[in-house]
Amino acid sequence: MAFARSRGARIRSNAFAYANLAPYVFFVLFPFYFMAVTSFKSNAELYNLKSIPFWIQTGVITEHYTFLFAKTEFVTWMKNSLLVAVVATTVSVVISILAGYSLARLRFRGAASFGTAIFISYLVPPTLLFLPLSQVVVWLGLADSVYALMVTYPTFLVPFCTWLLMGYFRTIPREVEECALVDGATRMQTLSKIVLPMALPGIICAVLFSFTLCWNEFIYALTFISQSGNKTAVVGVTSDLIRGDIYFWGSLMAGALLASIPIVIIYVLFLDYYVSGLTAGAVKG
Amino acid sequence: MAVGPRVLEAAGFPRPGRLSRLREWWEQEHVFGYGLIVPAIVLLVTLIAFPFGMAIWFSLSDYWVGSPGGFVGLTNYREILGNETFRQTVQNSFVFTSIAVSLKVVLGVWLAMLLARNLRFKRVIRGIVLLPFVIPTALSTLAWLWMFDSLYSVVNWTAIRLHLINAPGPNWLGQSTYAMAAVITVNVWRGLPFFAITVLAGLMAVPREYLEAAEVDGATSWGRFWHVTLPLIKPVLAVVILFSTIFTFGDFNIVQVLTRGGPVNTTHLFATLAYQVGLNGGNLGQGAAISLFIFPLLALVVFFQLQYVRKE
Amino acid sequence: MKKPDRSVPTRRQFLATTAGATAGMASWLALGKAPAFAQTRELTFLSWNHFVPASDDELRKQAEAFGKANNCTVRVDTMAHLQMPAKVAAEAQSQSGHDMYRTAGADPFLYENLLLSVDDVVEKVGKQGGGWYSFAAESSQTKSGWKSIPWFWISFPGTYNQAHFKKAGFEGPPKTWDELLKMGKVLKKQGNPVGIPISHCSDAHSTYWSVAWSAGAKVLEADGKTPGISSDKTAQVIEWYKELYKDAMEPEVLSWDDAGNNRFMLSGKGSWIHNPVSPYNAALANKQPIADDINHHTSLGGPAGRHSAPPILSMGIWKFSKNQELAKEFVAYLFQKQNYDAWIVASNAFNHPPLKNLADHPIWARNPKFAMLPKEAEFAHPRGWPAKPGEAVQRIDNNYIMTDMVAKAVSGMPTKRAMDWAQEQVALAVKGQLKG
Repeated sequence: MAFARSRGARIRSNAFAYANLAPYVFFVLFPFYFMAVTSFKSNAELYNLKSIPFWIQTGVITEHYTFLFAKTEFVTWMKNSLLVAVVATTVSVVISILAGYSLARLRFRGAASFGTAIFISYLVPPTLLFLPLSQVVVWLGLADSVYALMVTYPTFLVPFCTWLLMGYFRTIPREVEECALVDGATRMQTLSKIVLPMALPGIICAVLFSFTLCWNEFIYALTFISQSGNKTAVVGVTSDLIRGDIYFWGSLMAGALLASIPIVIIYVLFLDYYVSGLTAGAVKG
Repeated sequence: MAVGPRVLEAAGFPRPGRLSRLREWWEQEHVFGYGLIVPAIVLLVTLIAFPFGMAIWFSLSDYWVGSPGGFVGLTNYREILGNETFRQTVQNSFVFTSIAVSLKVVLGVWLAMLLARNLRFKRVIRGIVLLPFVIPTALSTLAWLWMFDSLYSVVNWTAIRLHLINAPGPNWLGQSTYAMAAVITVNVWRGLPFFAITVLAGLMAVPREYLEAAEVDGATSWGRFWHVTLPLIKPVLAVVILFSTIFTFGDFNIVQVLTRGGPVNTTHLFATLAYQVGLNGGNLGQGAAISLFIFPLLALVVFFQLQYVRKE
Repeated sequence: MKKPDRSVPTRRQFLATTAGATAGMASWLALGKAPAFAQTRELTFLSWNHFVPASDDELRKQAEAFGKANNCTVRVDTMAHLQMPAKVAAEAQSQSGHDMYRTAGADPFLYENLLLSVDDVVEKVGKQGGGWYSFAAESSQTKSGWKSIPWFWISFPGTYNQAHFKKAGFEGPPKTWDELLKMGKVLKKQGNPVGIPISHCSDAHSTYWSVAWSAGAKVLEADGKTPGISSDKTAQVIEWYKELYKDAMEPEVLSWDDAGNNRFMLSGKGSWIHNPVSPYNAALANKQPIADDINHHTSLGGPAGRHSAPPILSMGIWKFSKNQELAKEFVAYLFQKQNYDAWIVASNAFNHPPLKNLADHPIWARNPKFAMLPKEAEFAHPRGWPAKPGEAVQRIDNNYIMTDMVAKAVSGMPTKRAMDWAQEQVALAVKGQLKG
């Protein structure tokens, strides 16, 4: 690097950067901090206009959490979310691997059109489809069950994952596959034994994104499922802890935190995959 | 293959019958290709294309939950366009989308520039910044719901203590302009990471020599940014803006949890209005018509996106 | 060779035991219960997420007890009340789902042909319980008989802050809507306005019906088809609201949700609201000192008497249910005195019985702040009265017509124009045209 910069200038520039980043970081993190504080505050302090909202003055309590576990179906909701996310992710990633490989690597008539069709379907928002899908779900006999979600979630997972995986598949050198084929491997074997291992980062990315999108999904889960026992975590927390005119704020915050934790854990462990997945779309175009 | 089928048979291998011919057929590139995309295409047709068609059918018929009706032509559309709630929703959507996306662009690029520097805790900070995008939106919006509460709002509490406003402070979710501000704030909070991280990736792809050359040439920071950096990240920015516009226009979670469209319909977006009309009110026909209004903008965006991609 | 160790099971013994255990396991998994019983009946009940969670716990407890006593299982599913209409409509359309469910509003009339006639249960339980209140028949008895069994109702008294009233120099709470207006003006000057929501929430309507009926105004004529809004009485009601809004309330009432008046009261600012007892209970639960100042009083009256529109909930049994007799028995079981009493207690006095004998519960009689609540039953009516509940009434409520009429008037529209607009909307609702 032929560029010289004085040490002082660099320190000043860094200090400037940190100073400007601090408000962002605060803006980003404050709601989470506040959720946590609220979830451990007693109701008397929460609803006391004279108390300071930023921290706890009268002692940490765990009643909101015990209420959440004992008086609501929170555990069931978490189980439902997990079940739906695992099944929908598995189904979607498998379909996407097949479709992505086909569109990225194989030549056949109409491949480009199919690719465009998949891309366009990604842009059709769930908020457009949720009403007719609510009827489709009833016709399929899946109304008010987690199966409705397992069937409908792939509609927004598959387009995105296919597109993502297409990018990864394209980076695998053709020669490797051609060698395998010449050596007598079937196409399926080439895909499963040669290509997939090389595309593993992309697949992990697709799995992570799919799981996250499933877990966080709101409108379909809200629309298709009405009974409390069948709800997913996100919908259950937002709908069952507000009863008429009573908001159970402490438990609301507790539920919001706990239901976010699985995603946070995965995110922290696989941070780089999330970033690369996000940017894959925009940068690779 | 060098060894013929009869030799194989003599050696004890089974005669190549239907199964083997099937395998050979399957191994052809175009057959295999079509075969692999069948599941995806089936999914697309049955659960995206077909419901999309259904949405159009609903919007043209008198379809209520529990009592499907018949074809009524454009009646639903005529009724919506004459309905002042709907007109308010259209206005809301444009105001919301334009302000939110503009803020996200400006703040996102600014944040990306900050993160592009060689800072020590870069990875951690980047991880933190991306957090709002990853957490379930409906749940993080609950935190904001409490932060904007009419009585116990911590935002008001702080602003009053800092002498920025007089007690008791605005009823954020109960007054129209403030409610819109609140909803935009949460949307920016949630969507900013997407902009920042993606533009950052674009920035990283910019060769340093360009920036350094400009600095050596004596260009100011602003000049450097405007004339060198910005043109180079334009492609990435364009893609992100297009995506963000679609998602923001079709937003549901934030408004539904924060205001449910209120107060007095001043924060209703197409999605939340469609939900209220279609599911709470039971009028699926009109609900579908409302949600279909998202489509023209979508088509425009898709068109531009495809043009752009084809140019590449 | 080693001597066989008796403590270790021989292979034969081991296999035998394992086989036996596996068979038992398999049959247990297959039947979901110990193999001794044959397939038992399951009764399913769809109810709401009660505002007081303990009430649902008690309901489930009783359901389990009934199940044990009758060799069946009773499953209680609950959901948010706002999502119930769509779910019920779906069950009605697909003719499958739960055996019985909590009906509300006009359900017995909307689904008259799909619900089982329950005259026998109604008569039996009514005799046992000392007779039904009049609103029971009004809300559940259709042309073809009783289509649901009234289950409970939720009182909607005036809730007021004694300290504010005392400070303003009043000896007691108002008795009529006109008195409220007079007192409200003084209270607002003192800094403690009153609050009635004029917004899209159900509290807004509950109050409107009450005010209108007390003034003698109607929304629909008794035939259920003719709009009855445009009248001198309604004009009086609107003028009353305008004056109240200007001199006794603040603009925030235009943006309240159902929790808005609770917050208003609990913050100490509000002096009077019209609401179920939830603010008081919340203050008690949160150990807020304002609980001492909050008290309730009987719903207000007017020239046409005292009327109120509390929520009235019932139980309906679908005709497609395969457990109709069992469902009827379950209903009768819930109405047995000791069961119903336990349920009242669990709900913290929230659930009121529709039967006269059950209304003397000490939880109201012994608490001076609650003593007046059961009386509300005597002048309660379902929405739409004097018309029968029906689809038109439901649509009127769902589209917040009356509340919008008042909102328009208090925001400047001339009374007559607002009334005419509402009359037109009601006519549309009757025709079934009203949407959105």
